[in-house]
Amino acid sequence: MTALEKDVVTEPGPAVEPRGRLAALAPYATALRAAGGLLTVIGAYLPWATFVLNEGPYPEKATLEFFTAPFGVSGFRLHLLVFGIVALVLAFVRTLPSRGRILRALGWGIVAVTVANGLYLTVLGGGFGAITAADGAVAFGAIVALIGGALVLVGAFAGGLGEQLRWGRPLGRYAEWAILLVVFTLLLLLVAAVLTSGGQGSVANPYSGAVFLSFLGAVGGLLAALHAAGVLTWVTAMSERHRAFSAIVLLVVALALPLTGAGTQYWMTVAANIGVYAATAIGLNIVVGLAGLLDLGYVAFLGIGAVVAANFSGATAARFDIVLPFPLVMVISAVVAGIFGAIVGSPTLRVRGDYLAIVTLAFGEIFVRSSQNNIGGLTGGSNAIPGIPPVSAFGQAFNEKLTVGSVELPAGALYYFLIVVIVAAVMAVFGNLKNSRLGRAWIAIREDEDAARAMGIRTGPVKILAFMIGATLAGLAGAFFAHKTGTVSYESFRFLESVTLLAAVILGGMGTIPGAVLGASILFVLPEKLREFSDYRLLIFGIALVLIMRFRPQGLVPDSHRRAELAPEAEPPPPDPGTGTATGKVAVQ
Amino acid sequence: MSAKHAMPEAPAPRTPSGAGLLTASGVTMQFGGLRALNDVSFGLSEGEIIGLIGPNGAGKTTFFNCLTGLYAPTSGSVALRGTPLPQDPAKVTDRGIARTFQNIRLFPSMTAEENVLVGRHVRMKQGPLSSLLHGPGFKRSEAEARSRTAELLEFVGLTRFSGELARNLPYGDQRRLEIARALATEPSVLLLDEPTAGMNAQETEATRQLIFGIRDLGTSVVVIEHDTKFIFTLCDRVLVLVQGELLVEGSPDEVRGDPRVVEAYLGAPPDEVEHQIHAAEENP
Repeated sequence: MTALEKDVVTEPGPAVEPRGRLAALAPYATALRAAGGLLTVIGAYLPWATFVLNEGPYPEKATLEFFTAPFGVSGFRLHLLVFGIVALVLAFVRTLPSRGRILRALGWGIVAVTVANGLYLTVLGGGFGAITAADGAVAFGAIVALIGGALVLVGAFAGGLGEQLRWGRPLGRYAEWAILLVVFTLLLLLVAAVLTSGGQGSVANPYSGAVFLSFLGAVGGLLAALHAAGVLTWVTAMSERHRAFSAIVLLVVALALPLTGAGTQYWMTVAANIGVYAATAIGLNIVVGLAGLLDLGYVAFLGIGAVVAANFSGATAARFDIVLPFPLVMVISAVVAGIFGAIVGSPTLRVRGDYLAIVTLAFGEIFVRSSQNNIGGLTGGSNAIPGIPPVSAFGQAFNEKLTVGSVELPAGALYYFLIVVIVAAVMAVFGNLKNSRLGRAWIAIREDEDAARAMGIRTGPVKILAFMIGATLAGLAGAFFAHKTGTVSYESFRFLESVTLLAAVILGGMGTIPGAVLGASILFVLPEKLREFSDYRLLIFGIALVLIMRFRPQGLVPDSHRRAELAPEAEPPPPDPGTGTATGKVAVQ
Repeated sequence: MSAKHAMPEAPAPRTPSGAGLLTASGVTMQFGGLRALNDVSFGLSEGEIIGLIGPNGAGKTTFFNCLTGLYAPTSGSVALRGTPLPQDPAKVTDRGIARTFQNIRLFPSMTAEENVLVGRHVRMKQGPLSSLLHGPGFKRSEAEARSRTAELLEFVGLTRFSGELARNLPYGDQRRLEIARALATEPSVLLLDEPTAGMNAQETEATRQLIFGIRDLGTSVVVIEHDTKFIFTLCDRVLVLVQGELLVEGSPDEVRGDPRVVEAYLGAPPDEVEHQIHAAEENP
């Protein structure tokens, strides 16, 4: 740790000045922070539920059974314990300039974990008594931890947040490579842990949703704290310096997911589904994020790709009797979807903004209705096209187990590998286009269409190209989707799916790759995990979206440009106006 | 108002004066019942700076929009080097006419560098496939565009703001960035719509030097401006547009002395205007 600390550039900067309504509490900031940390630790050690729930004891021994194993703290209580201890320590470390920010992150993490579990216990226990006192039993764990988190937050704000830490000079190449390797491996483990946390949502596993949400809160708090400490920025800068290396390592790490705890058929299927939507979301990101064209019917292109693939698959319901090899099918699906993209894109020459959204909405409906009515016998109508055979290569069907030497890969791992490669290709397309003449033209159109035309950009073809390329990528994903799920039905491509994809792009951060992937992951993992909330899951989902859009309008992983545009705290330094005028020498050539 | 009665008849359609880099003949623009431009003709020669002045609503910006293909004139034609211009702003830019806007229209969420790079759009040889694959041709065209962009940013004095978002630039620098972006299209004619609006005296002077510099690089310039002092000390020729009609055209001296300009454009008692003009003369 000391070696790293040496590299921290402790810029003198502005002193940590407490601001706002909490400024009056500034003298008590340290006390508040310490008290908050202490209460959180105590909360972690208290029982949380006054009775054993119907579905069995609450995980991590949070019920009264706690007394049978007083120090065996695990799960969410372990997370709270760690957060509490770190907050307690940070309260007294005066040399760290960004501790206010770190404490804020920890505070939110504590609150999130506590609320997720407390609320769930309350609802499940049928009232407030479940987490306070009932039938002579007391369990104030949730209340105490919540107060602890709130105190940490108040203390963090009262004492001033301070600057985000900046880490100093670059290290040597091999040192940075090693760090990146470690970081990406940790990332893999983190992703696997998040994916599997709470286990598979089902009747037999009633607590999976709550455990997952709680874990998500803890991970969110951890990442926010690391960001506040400048670690994320530091790693990002490092991976920017070694782009190729990072890309390769990330790809390898992604391919290694089946070797972690997520290496079961169920998680491989979930991961492959996420991959399909991530690839589609990145395609949509070209249309919406870069070119600024609101498309409400985008999932239709995924559908078109899937239908085309289904018809060439040799399924009994397929329209054509030809069975083509899968790579060729992918190309055909992508091309056909791209052609439809160009067709849908052509009205954009005349239609802008809201009207364009309605045109695309109508297109999406046309696709759903036509496939419902089995137009041309291509879609199977309400019977769908079932029995699409799995992809196979070298005699190995992709949906079956594969044993390589002593390593046994779970069923579905091959599909997972395939979708990782597809997503990587889609990412490369997006990244390359974004930093090119075409990508700049798209962004220029998004920013100011008339000015873009005045700069010589032929907005018509350029916009159609955006629709076309976006649709092509979705078509590619659609071909994969058809073979992986084995059934293509119009019901998978309804308006709600388009909206969810759009939400994934906006939630993750418009115009960025990690944003689209993260958004797609969240939006398609949450419903899986929240199954036991059935009736409430869309409600929870909706509230979460509203909250994120309210407090982080630029998305979870914002584009550096949009971050500046939408960030509530105007961070970009205003250029010195004093130097802004001195250009007398300019024209004297 | 006796001035109104004293106004002379509309000048007869004249053949464009000046040699033929950019010529407009008989341009008329009708918006419903409103005739924003009536039979306006002019000619711009190589290396010339022309000023376009006139009261608000005289049709100056409308005229620019007709020149750049944003509006299709109701009648009349615009030609560059004798060839009629298409009615499509993108193609006009490609042909070599660039413009800035009266109310700055940069791409606010792009950096200064990216704004100028967008200006390079028409001059870059980089097809969609090249954009996708990032081959050697891509790297060449990208490097060329970036070095040209760096030159232009230096030319207008914005090198230090290269990585800054356009929206964060000070007002005067935004106007300069808009000029750099227009220059990136390698225009033979640059149309500037009120380039000094909202600038202080020092910035205005810097802008004037900048425009001379642009002219010296071989680009002809047409400037719309309300600041008569700025126009008279900058331009080789001045056109006065009043209520959509070309009222007077001539050297700054001729225009300055013309009583019709004094009456119609400045709309103030003659002696006061004289005073204003002389003041401009004395402190160039």
